[in-house]
This record gives sequence, C-alpha cells and structure tokens, in this order.
Amino acid sequence: MRRTLRRFGNEPVFNMAFFILILATLFLIVYPVWRVIFYPSLEDYLAFPQNARWLKALTNSMVMMVLSMITCSTLAFLFSYSIVRLRIKGKALFRFITLLPIVSPPFIVALSYILLFGRQGLITNHLLGVRLNIYGWQGLWAVQTISFFPYAYAVIEGVMRNIPENMEYAARNLGAGKWRAFWDVFFPLCRPGVAGGAMIAAISVLADFGNPSMIAGNFHLLPIEAYMQMVGWYNMTGAAVLSTVLLIPTFAIFLLNRYWLGSRAYTTTSGKESFLPPQSLPKLVEWTVFSICLIVSIFVLLVYGVLLVGAFSKTWGYDWSLDLSNFAQIYQKRKLLFNSLEYAAISSVLASSAGFALAFLVERVKLPGKKILDFLAVLPGAVPGIFLGLGFALALGPPPFALTGTPTIMIVALSIWNIPTCYNANRARLQQISDSIEQAARNLGASKCKVVSGIFFPILKRTILSSLMLSFLRSMTCLSVVIFIYGVSTTVSTISVLSLVNSGDWSGAAAFTSVIITVAFTSMGIFKLAERIFSIVSGDKHGRSTY
Amino acid sequence: MKKLLTAILPAILVISMFVCGPLMAANESVIVYSALNEGDMVALQKKFKEDTGINLEYMVFSAGEGSARVLAEAKAPQADIFVGGSMEVYAPLKTAGALHQYRSPNAKDIAPEYSDPDGYWQGWYMGVQSIIYNRDRFKEEIAPKGLKPPEGPDDLINPAYKGLLVGSNPATAGGGYIFVANQIFTRGEKGAWDFITALNKNIDHYTKGAGDVISLVATGEFVASYAWAHDSYNSVKQGYPLEIVIPQNTAFEVGAVAVIEGAHNLQNAKIFMDWLLTKEIGQINTDLSNRYSLRSDVSPPKGLPKVEDIKVSDYDRQKAAKMKDMVVKKFSQITGA
Repeated sequence: MRRTLRRFGNEPVFNMAFFILILATLFLIVYPVWRVIFYPSLEDYLAFPQNARWLKALTNSMVMMVLSMITCSTLAFLFSYSIVRLRIKGKALFRFITLLPIVSPPFIVALSYILLFGRQGLITNHLLGVRLNIYGWQGLWAVQTISFFPYAYAVIEGVMRNIPENMEYAARNLGAGKWRAFWDVFFPLCRPGVAGGAMIAAISVLADFGNPSMIAGNFHLLPIEAYMQMVGWYNMTGAAVLSTVLLIPTFAIFLLNRYWLGSRAYTTTSGKESFLPPQSLPKLVEWTVFSICLIVSIFVLLVYGVLLVGAFSKTWGYDWSLDLSNFAQIYQKRKLLFNSLEYAAISSVLASSAGFALAFLVERVKLPGKKILDFLAVLPGAVPGIFLGLGFALALGPPPFALTGTPTIMIVALSIWNIPTCYNANRARLQQISDSIEQAARNLGASKCKVVSGIFFPILKRTILSSLMLSFLRSMTCLSVVIFIYGVSTTVSTISVLSLVNSGDWSGAAAFTSVIITVAFTSMGIFKLAERIFSIVSGDKHGRSTY
Repeated sequence: MKKLLTAILPAILVISMFVCGPLMAANESVIVYSALNEGDMVALQKKFKEDTGINLEYMVFSAGEGSARVLAEAKAPQADIFVGGSMEVYAPLKTAGALHQYRSPNAKDIAPEYSDPDGYWQGWYMGVQSIIYNRDRFKEEIAPKGLKPPEGPDDLINPAYKGLLVGSNPATAGGGYIFVANQIFTRGEKGAWDFITALNKNIDHYTKGAGDVISLVATGEFVASYAWAHDSYNSVKQGYPLEIVIPQNTAFEVGAVAVIEGAHNLQNAKIFMDWLLTKEIGQINTDLSNRYSLRSDVSPPKGLPKVEDIKVSDYDRQKAAKMKDMVVKKFSQITGA
C-alpha cells in the first residue's frame, strides 16, 4: 500500500487521470445497475420462483445461451483462422461478412430470415416448394448465431493475429505433428480470445430480445418476458425482477470464463519479432474450414441481399415492384442519422479509452479488489440493454443530474454499454504481452507515462482501434440501450426503424436499415483512410489497417 | 502527442458529463409523448401549427413504453402531453401522481363514462378488435375447401385452418389478453375455455406483442389472426392483401389523452387537449388512423361499420384486471404457451 502511495506521488498527473477515469466509470456502471436491482422489493423477488412461466423462461434462456455460444464461438474461431492463418483468396469477403451483422440494427436478421425461409419464404416456398416451420428455438438458434458470431470474432481474431508463428515452428522442430502443434501450442494461446469471445457471445444471446420477439414462437425467454412485462403490462417492477435474474447466469459465465483461463500465462509478445509463414494444417482440414466459412458467408449475403431488395420494393414480401418512396421518407428523417453518428463517434472514443484504462489496471497494476473491478468492467454487457437504459433514466434522469433528453445521457449510456467490448479485447491482448518489456523500459528510466505511451499504446494500437471501430458500429445500431433515454431532440435512426417495424412498414424499415449500414461502412472507410494517413505521418512502417 | 492524448481522453469523459445541461423547451411549443402512429403524428403536427401557431414536438412509443417513460420521468417531466393508448394505462399514472388535473371544456361532447371522474385523463377515441386474414392465401388454400371468409372467431376453429393461425399471447400482450378476457365475458367461463382449446389446435404460436401478428398475416406467413382494426389498417394502406372483419361482440379499447404533471408548457398542453377534442380534429384522426371518435358527430372510419352497428361486448374492465392472473394461468395450461 505504501509503495502504491509512493508511486502515486511520483507521477501525480498520470495517476490522477487514471484515478478519475476509473472512479467516473465505476460510478456510471454501478449506480444505474444498482437502481434497477433495488427497484423491486424483496417480496417481488421471492415471487419469482412461484411463477412457472418465468422459471421456464430462465431455463430456456440458459439453453439458448449455451447453444448459441457454442456455435457463435466455433464459427468465430473458424473465421478468424481462415482470415489470419489460411493463405486463401477472398479474405476481404470474410471480413465483410463478420461486419455486416454488427452494423445492422437488431431483429433485421430475423426479419430477412422469415422472408427467406418462412412459410412464404423465397427459398423454402418459392424455390424448394416446402413450407417449413421456422418459429421456435431452431430458427432462433440460426438467427442468433448469425447475429452474434461477429462479436466473438472481433475478440478471437485480435488474439489470434498476435500469436507468433515461431512457437509452432519450435514445436515442429522438436518433432510434433501438425495436429499436435495446433492443439498443444496454437490453440492454448488462443484461449484468452476464445474465452473472451464466447463470453461476449453468451452475454449478447442472454440479453437478446429483438430476434426472439420475431422468431421464437412459443419458446419463452427471460429478456422477452422482461421487455413485455413493461411494454405489455406496464409492470416495471416485474421487468426489473426478471432482468436482475438474468444477472445470475451472466455471473456464472463470468466465473466459468475466469476458471477456464485460470492462472496460466499467455505471454507471446516478448519483443522478438518473427516473419515466418504460418504453420499449416492438413489440406483437407483447411479446405473444410474454408468451405464452412464460405457457406456461412453466402447465407449472410443472402440475408442482407434480400433486405436490400426489400428496401427498394413497394411492400416487403408481397409486391416486389421498384419503389423509391421509402428513401424519400428517410431523407425527411436525416437528422436522426446525424444524431446516431454523433453519439456513436463520441461514445466509442470514450468507451475505448475507458476500456483500455480498465484493462491496463486489471492486468498491469497491483491493486486490491481487482477481481471486482474485472467483474464491473464486464457488467454493463451483462445487463439487458433496455435495463441499462432504464437504469440510466432512473439514475441520471432526475436532479441533481437532470440529464433526461440530453445528448449527454445518450453518450454516457452508450459509452458504458461499450466498455465490456473494449475492455475484453484490450485485456486479452495485454495478457499476451510479457512483463519483461515493461521492466526493461522501467530499468532504463522510463516513467509510467512513457511506458504506457511508448510501449503499451503502440503494441495495443490495433486492438484499441479495432475495439473503437466495433464500439462505433455497435452504437450506430444500438436500440435497446437508447430506447428509454432518447428525447425529442435526441432521437436516433434505430428508434425510427423500430417504429417502422411496429407500424407494419417492413419495407421502410429495410430501407432505413440499408441506409444505416451504408453510412456505417462509409464512416468505417473514412476511419481506415485516416488511420493510414496517420500511420504514414507518424512514420509507422507496420501501420496496417484494422480491418 | 501521445502523452497528451492519454491525458485528454479521461478528461473528455468527465467534462462531457457536466457540460451539456438539460434542454429547455421554448415557450411556443408543446412536447407530446404519443402512442398513436408516426404518420398520424406528422399530420397532427402540421395541422396544430396551422391552427394555433404552436410547434408540436413528439415522440412515438407503444402505450406501455410511453407510460413507463412518463412514470420514470415523474420527478423531472420532459413532456407536456401523453396521448394515445388504452385508458387502463392512464389509471396507474394518475395514482402515481404523474398526471395533471384538467377538464377540457370540449369534453362535454363526449359521454362521461369515457373520462376520469377526477379529470386526470380524457378518453377521445375508440379502437375495436377485429379478425384479420390474408386474402390471397385464403383464396388459394381455404376457399377451395368450401369455406366462406371468416366473420368472427368461431369461424377460425374449423380444422381447415390447422397451423395457419397465429395469435398474440395474453401473458405478454395487452391486446391478446383483451381478446381472451372478452371470450369469458361473452361466452361464460366454460364456453370461453372450450373455445380457446379448440382455437389453440389451429394456432401455430403466440406472439409477444399484440401488433406482431399483423405483419405475419399481411405477408402471408400465416392466414389469419385477431388484432386491433386500426393497427391492421396500416398494412392495408401499404397495399398488403389484408382483410379486416369486425365481428359481433367484439372487444374495444378507449384511447385517452392527459396533461402531464409538472409540464413546462402547461398552457400549450391545455390548448392541445382542447384542440384534440374538437369535431374537426376528431374527424381527421379517424380518417388517418381508422380509429372511431368518441364524438357522435364524427363519421366512422372508411370501410368500417358505424359505431351503432357494431355490437361491442359488455367488457368489464375492473373485472378483467382482477381476473388476469387466473386467466393467464389457465390459458397457459391449455395452450402450453
């Protein structure tokens, strides 16, 4: 403790900045969640186990979480492997596929899926002449896998990319076969990524209410029950109880994740660079991996292709004649798009800096209560978005903050919501960096500031930038968090998509969604360009683009 | 540069928290939380500006979200008016002290049973529940079996509809509950549950929201369902092959309007309410949204029968609220949904 204090005195600016950031973030994470948890009384909680319907919903949620988590992380792993390790053409397509679901608002995948595979499905009915029943857990499983594997991918890819090839070379030189090198050397090094990715996927699945509400049929899930308690029965207490119950499985995943990772070391970046071609797997395996990715890619392209066609047609799924009136309607609402852009830009910068700081603190600074800090940093991702929003409405809405209806509350909520994404990515990457670099720098007299800005920041730059990009895209397309806190002048585009879906204008919703996707990709292009210019200016030879 | 960046980023977070203060609405405006449709609000906004010179700003929600928001903001209200949504939504808001007492002089033209006895909210339109079906799929698959288009819920228990119906779940959807409760009021308890059991054999699944079924029927995913007539009419306007049938003894809702307690633009809010209750606006709203006006001097929605010709059920709202737990439980036992 005394040592910590002495260090603090040595570098006051650095430590103060960190301290304030941590305090602000923690307050903003804990207080809204606390407001939601303590909104119902104890009796309200005790009533939960007596409600058979809710218990069933809890079990169903757990089942879906496990199923979708497995498929999401498997798919994410295969995609990462294809992109990072395989020497193939068409990587750009795969990268594009992993971005599409992130840049589109929730429930749109389910909407397209119904159009493709439903009773009147373009593929099932019109092409194959069958009438499938897609309403149930199977359909939901497919849709959730497509919707959420990109989040797992973002984490796994970041970790996999930074695993140096020389370890596997060493293993091969010592006589290990291709499989042995893969399973005993490569895969264990991927673990922080797989664990982090699986956790993000699991939590997203647990909190998902857009897809199930469209496609789950009679299969009840906890977030839907919670959401409907509020919008169907105006029962905020019930909604708060149900969403608090959701925290239990989340906590379980969290513990499992940490247990699986254990206290092993995942250090790979030790300062020695290597430029060897990656070790390969048997050709048959590589082709299988590639084929799976290709099939999934075609599937995703179909889903979004149909969305685009729907956007330009008169009535979704019925009259396919060309009609541009949907876009004229959107032009009227362009202000909503600017709002989305503004909030997403600011909040992603805030989230990625806070995520970096928290990850750094947990991984690199000796602190008591680190595990709590770790848990709090992933907590916002575990609360269903709509209740994070509700929590912010309850916490920052009334005086002394009185922030209801302001851009500030939107930005703060979106930032907090994105912290887990950024935190997990940064933390997974930090686990790969050896202490020895830092120690060497400290021995050579570098200040803590210098260590962060001269060593960690450059090494983590790509992770920081990719999580910044991811946060930006998530914020652009976020619906659940903002639904309770947007105001008359702070309405965003996803809200409008929801109201179009609700009023039965699926074509209009598809049109607005395709505009959102286009805007998101355009801003990503600009971002990439800026990044390249920045790396040329700063003379960074390895300044490759993030995506 | 990088050092500067590491110092600036945390600062931004802290500063941005406090810089932007709450936005104060200008005096010549009124802020409306609305459970009406987006398109209707655009038209009302334009008309209100023309008639009064006051800017109307609005946000559209489902009734439940809207009321939850009014409740959440009770200590620091952001809006002046809450409009649309069944009067059941307004009662808890009144109890929570979120509504402002105001009796509009124009309310005299509306039957007193549609307003709060203490003057905290005012009913002004009526929506009725309907049977909806997809014209194309009916023609292709049901008509060849010798069936006539459905005229009421009883026609839907025919085995020809097996797996072709979709419903909304009374446990989650307000409209779904009103449908089931209405069967109890019109058929008695035994008759109602026999009917639900028979209907359930044809229903593929129950959606969470009352309006979710409309697009599923409009796009032909399913052949028929039950839904609010005014909500269904949106899909008809877009050109879907959707037919709306208003059966005998159908259930109805009374949509309300209220001034929010602590409204920043109290005077404008009152002007809005008076304006909304006039004959002219009642007619406009009916033409736009297919909802019935509670004023007798407003003609019924196009394509729908006169309100006198609709036989609505004796829907007992108090009893409906009381028996909800029982009904939902029994429904769940029968349907497994």
